[in-house]
Amino acid sequence: MKSKKLLALICATAMTAGLLAGCGSSPAAGSDSGDSASAQGSASTEASAGQEEGNAEGDSSNQGGTASDKEAMTLEVFDVAANYQGVQSGWFGKVVKDRFNIELNILAPQVAGDALYQTRSQTGNLGDILILEPAQFQDCVKVGMVKDIGGEIWNSENLSGYRTQIESLNNGLEGNNGEIYGIPCEMLNTSPTDLTAETIYSSPLLRWDLYKEMGMPDIEDLDGLLDTLEQMQKAHPTNEAGDPAYALSLWPDWDGGDNMLGIANVVQITTWYGEKIKESLILQPDNTFIPLTDKSGAYYKMLKFLNDAYLRGLVDPDSFDQTWSDAQAKISNGQVYLMWYNWSCGFWNSQARLEDGTAFRFVPVKDQTYYADADSYYGTGRVWAVGSQVDDAKYERIMEFLDWYASPEGLMFQHDGIEDFTYVKQDDGTLKRINDTALMDNLPVPEEWGGGGYNDGNNQLNQWIGAASNMNPLTGEPYNGTMWKSYKEATMTEMKEEWTERFGAENDVEYMKNNKVLLASPNVSVALPANTPDIDTTRNLCNTEVCDASWRMIKAKDDAEFDQMWDEMTKTLDGLGFQELMASDTAKFTIELEAKLEAAKAE
Amino acid sequence: MKKFFSDKKKARGFKEFLYITPFLVLVLVFSYYPLYGWVYAFFDYRPPFPLTKETFVGLKWFQTMVGNEVRIKQLLMVLRNTFAMSGINLLFSWFPMIFAVFLNEIKCTPFKKVVQTVTTLPNFISWVLVYSIAYSVFNSTGVVNSIGMSLGLIEEPVMFLQSPDHIWFKMWLWNTWKNAGWAAIMYIAAISGIDEELIEAAKVDGASRMQTIWYITIPSILPTYFVLVMLNLANFLSNGMEQFYVFQNAFNKESIQVLDLYVYNLAMGNGGYSLSTAISIFKSIVSVVLLCATNKASKLIRGEGFI
Repeated sequence: MKSKKLLALICATAMTAGLLAGCGSSPAAGSDSGDSASAQGSASTEASAGQEEGNAEGDSSNQGGTASDKEAMTLEVFDVAANYQGVQSGWFGKVVKDRFNIELNILAPQVAGDALYQTRSQTGNLGDILILEPAQFQDCVKVGMVKDIGGEIWNSENLSGYRTQIESLNNGLEGNNGEIYGIPCEMLNTSPTDLTAETIYSSPLLRWDLYKEMGMPDIEDLDGLLDTLEQMQKAHPTNEAGDPAYALSLWPDWDGGDNMLGIANVVQITTWYGEKIKESLILQPDNTFIPLTDKSGAYYKMLKFLNDAYLRGLVDPDSFDQTWSDAQAKISNGQVYLMWYNWSCGFWNSQARLEDGTAFRFVPVKDQTYYADADSYYGTGRVWAVGSQVDDAKYERIMEFLDWYASPEGLMFQHDGIEDFTYVKQDDGTLKRINDTALMDNLPVPEEWGGGGYNDGNNQLNQWIGAASNMNPLTGEPYNGTMWKSYKEATMTEMKEEWTERFGAENDVEYMKNNKVLLASPNVSVALPANTPDIDTTRNLCNTEVCDASWRMIKAKDDAEFDQMWDEMTKTLDGLGFQELMASDTAKFTIELEAKLEAAKAE
Repeated sequence: MKKFFSDKKKARGFKEFLYITPFLVLVLVFSYYPLYGWVYAFFDYRPPFPLTKETFVGLKWFQTMVGNEVRIKQLLMVLRNTFAMSGINLLFSWFPMIFAVFLNEIKCTPFKKVVQTVTTLPNFISWVLVYSIAYSVFNSTGVVNSIGMSLGLIEEPVMFLQSPDHIWFKMWLWNTWKNAGWAAIMYIAAISGIDEELIEAAKVDGASRMQTIWYITIPSILPTYFVLVMLNLANFLSNGMEQFYVFQNAFNKESIQVLDLYVYNLAMGNGGYSLSTAISIFKSIVSVVLLCATNKASKLIRGEGFI
């Protein structure tokens, strides 16, 4: 009896102790255990790193000391751009490991949810390397979670090449006295008003073979575009495999991201009429703001366009509840006849399709004026930073890594891939693409680069310090492979010639410039004030309302119902505080607009 | 101290108190400590900034919640959906019981086992997977539409998941499909506890199958049923968000957005942490009111309350 009691007592004590032990972990203890775990992890990989040293030395000869000189280290990268969470593996992981003996442990709020930012920032340590949205960056600097890298950054050969841009970003911070906290993402050393690209982010893209089949008509306006699309869909109601094809396939799961208000598919295509949506406002070509809910604005116009398309039966019925990956699969299967992102061509336009003329290509609509962002001289808005809690040893390694990341060698790994696998050096020093489906088909990488699929092992940070359009001093051509002379020669297909003949220009941007239908918005570096919690909440409520109402409006039975739903939405929005939101957004974006006007004048 | 332990009765009391300590700690940590999070409702909170005196705003977020007509309308809509979904579930709560009774009547054991396994399995599938199954079955090129179209029953695909018609009933159906088998387990256990003699005696007296069910099986498991209903009542406002989160879209949101989902959408969308905390406090208050009302009703009807 007694022993039973004793046993019960022991059990009770053990349980209590267990419970308390489970919850007792201060942030410091947490990070300590994390460190020791990662140290163990890297210790176990050290052996394998040692084995590969032979290759490593060969590869990184121009990098000074070899990886083996330094202790293995794992860096935590808080990365808002990453679509992958975990340790960078595959060939890019090996490249970094061989050069720096560093492993990158990526923390991705896009994978784990926004709560990741909230919970980690509450502990005061977001990560070692940070890639942040502009507003987050400002907040983190204010709370002291970002390290001042002003001392070391100018000793870094490659980073100091972007001195103007980096200083401009940091001087814009509230109350800054010359400290350097952040490095802009995707900077481009041309000028803030240039437009080097050959295609713009969003424009109407049609299947060239079908457009030809319809007799290459002049398309006057959106109705004309719908007529053409309707003909295409009537002539080809299915793809070759017999799956139903539609002119448009939409997807709702991007709505509300990237500080947009309204559904992503519409927000993008408003730029076809030179209007750019800035949260609750629309920036018009004459540089004035009108509310998003204004019926003369492009949001109304483009939403109506989708509604008309729906009434004509041109919209994929799955559009309202499918995800981007479903839509992307349809693009890759040839079940879609209109696209509007230049990058989405990548899911269809292969070299073979460019040759047989079935690729997608920009077809101008006569009444449209296209808005495009100029070269990202000052960066695209997102910011690289270093966490304030890194120790000196780590800090040194981070700066070394970041400098390499911005170096020609680093940029070639990021934008061009692996030598002799995705490109070869030619006799004149320029490069030529090979295996151009490596990313699409996830081709196996040679053993000396660690093996595995090319796409799987690709740089998962998904964000760059230097943009792909930068000039590569080693080759005299941009890093972007589609801008190489060798690529242009290889893809000078019949289809391209036909396009040039039909529209009298070499490429999209040239056509737009010739016909004066291009509005290039200068790239500026301004720190926009952060929203108050009130405005954030209002914005969120309004966005939900606009998105939900928009999807319903696409399905409206006729114009009367469409307008009635629009008015209802406007009324609800006012009740949710849309006017306050607009006032706040106007104040905010006027700062940016003025900087842009200034930049345009300076040109 | 020595005196305390020398008092045998007290020492024993202390020891026995130690036995329940783990459970007290559990309750404190997981039920009371989270209440600390309520402070966020009284501040202008935006991560990563810590809560400070300057950001204290008192009841601002509660006022925002009912600030004007549109907001009140939204809140009422959400409450209506919550009550409707929980109400329907409550109204049909006898379904798993009847299912268990009929299952028990199947005499062919292998068949019975198969039915039970098949109906229990969905309980272990997450809602996300349930939705992907639903999507592949019901989308425009899914099984249902393909068969319907090839048989000429429908002209064009019917968008089952997008339409807001009968959405509460559809949600109940999904929920039942997922949970009925699992919920029946409790009743099957209760049925096996019924004294065989009762049933045998009834059969000797010439009772038909329906009569044994009606006069013996059901009355015997009714107490179990009432306990489960009581437990469900306590969760009236918490009908979970996963199911509604995966099934929501622009067309059905007005009828599908329940309190839990509303709070989630608000907080996780973009920084509405303070407002959504305020709403969840509001939910707790409504829950307490409901609990007191049910208790009062129970006192009036049965003569005794349950708290």
